[in-house]
Amino acid sequence: MLKEDFFIHSSVRRILVRSNIDSTKIEFGTVRGVVYFRGLFQLTRVYVYDDDELNRYLKSQDFIRKTLTSFEKKVRELPGVKDVVFQLVNWNKEKGQWRPMESKKKVQGYGQEDDSNVSKDFE
Amino acid sequence: MGKRMIPMYQRILNEIETKIRIYPDYADLHNQLGLLLMKEGNPKKAKRHFLKALQLNPKYQEARFNLGFLHIKEKCWEEAEEIFLAESERNGKDGFLQHVLGQCYLRTGRRREAAARIRKALRLHPSYRDCYQDSYQKKGGTRGKEISLAQEAERVLEKICLDYQETHFHNFVGLYLAKQGKFNQAIQELQRAAKRQPGQALFHSNLGTVYYRQGAYDKAIEAFRKALKIDPLCGAGYADLSYVYGLKGQTQKALRYMERAAQLNPRYADLHYNLALLYSDRNRVEDAIAELRKALRVNSNYLFARINLAVLYEDQKNLRAARREYRKVLQVTPEDEHVRSRLENIS
Repeated sequence: MLKEDFFIHSSVRRILVRSNIDSTKIEFGTVRGVVYFRGLFQLTRVYVYDDDELNRYLKSQDFIRKTLTSFEKKVRELPGVKDVVFQLVNWNKEKGQWRPMESKKKVQGYGQEDDSNVSKDFE
Repeated sequence: MGKRMIPMYQRILNEIETKIRIYPDYADLHNQLGLLLMKEGNPKKAKRHFLKALQLNPKYQEARFNLGFLHIKEKCWEEAEEIFLAESERNGKDGFLQHVLGQCYLRTGRRREAAARIRKALRLHPSYRDCYQDSYQKKGGTRGKEISLAQEAERVLEKICLDYQETHFHNFVGLYLAKQGKFNQAIQELQRAAKRQPGQALFHSNLGTVYYRQGAYDKAIEAFRKALKIDPLCGAGYADLSYVYGLKGQTQKALRYMERAAQLNPRYADLHYNLALLYSDRNRVEDAIAELRKALRVNSNYLFARINLAVLYEDQKNLRAARREYRKVLQVTPEDEHVRSRLENIS
C-alpha cells in the first residue's frame, strides 16, 4: 500500500529541520509520492575554521554538498517516496554529483561567499 | 574575576569565541557570548559583546534586553530603566517590561511609580498573578486588588528579573545543543527553562520541537499540548501537533489539529496545503481542492499546490482544468518532466 502524502510531507519536514537546512529558503511539496524541492538550498549557518578565505569558501561548499547528498538520500529512502525532484537555483546535479551553480563567479568573488550561501538568520 | 562554569557551558563559550574570531560581524554570536560571559560572572566583558551586537544590529531586541538585565544585575538602575522604558514605549502590551520597570523604580525609591507599573503588568498579563501569586501574597507584592509594596517586594521583583534572564540562558543553550544534535543535553536545558517559567508557552514549544527532532513523539505531543494550554490561539502550535500525529500515522488527529491551525492562520498558504494533503489522503477530493485554492489565493506562486490541484482535477475527470493547471506550472518550470508527462497523458 502506498504511504499517504501527508506522512511523507511530515517526514520530509522533520528531515529538513534535523539537517539544519534553512527551510525558509526552500519550498517543498508532495504529489502522490513524488517529493519536490524548489528554491535556495542553504544551511542555517556554516562555520568553517580556516584562516584562508578561499579555503574557507571551498570547505563550506564541500560541507553543504555533503549535507545535500545525505539529505537527498534520506528523502529517497522514506517509505512511499516514488521520486524526488530538485529545482534548486543554487545547486545542480550533474552526472550524479551535486555542484554549486555559478561556481566560477563565486570563487572569483569568494570574499562574499558567506553572504550568498550562509544564512544570518540564526535561531 | 570570573567564576568557574559548568564544563558544558565553558565548551560552548570557547566555541563561540572561536567563531567570533572568524566571523566578527555576526551580531548573534556577540549576543550569545555576552550571555555566557554573564553566566561566567564576567559582566564587563559581557557588556562589551552586547554593545558590539547592538552596534552591528541596532534593532537587535534580545541583545538590548540582555544589556538591560546586565545593568540590573550590576544595580545600574538608571541605565536599565532607559533601556526598558524605551522598549515599553515600543511595546506597551508587554506585561513583563512593566515588571522590570517596577523593579527599576522601586530600587530608585519611586514606590508609587513602581506600584503603578506592577498593576499594569498584572492587568496586561493576568497569568503573572498565577505564576507569582504565592510570592506576592506572602511577601507583600499584591493583596487582593490592591498593590502594596512591602519590604520583600524588591526581592520578589528581582527574582522575576533574574528568573527571566536565567530562563532565557537555558533556552539559548538548549537550542544551541539541539542544533549540534545533542538532544538529551538540549532537553535538560530546555526543561530547566520550562520549569523556571512554566507559564511561558515558548519554552514548552521549544522543548516539543527538540523532542520532535529527536523522534520522541509522545513527549513532543505532551510539550506542544502544554504550550497550547497556555496559548490556545497559537496556530503554529496546532500545526506542530498535526505534524507529529502525521508521523505517528494518526491522521484523524493530524487532520483535526491542522484544521484548527488553518482556521487560526488563514493567511498561511502552507497550512492550507498540508490540510489539502490530509483531505486528499482520505479521498475528500472536494475539500482538498477547496484548501488548495485557498493556498493559491494566498500565494499564487505556490507551484506544488497547483500540481496537487491538477492531480485532483484529474481524479475528478475534469481534464480541462487539470491541463490548465499543468500548463501554468510548466510556464514556470518547463523542465519538470513529471508534470510534462502528466499533461501529455491527458492531452
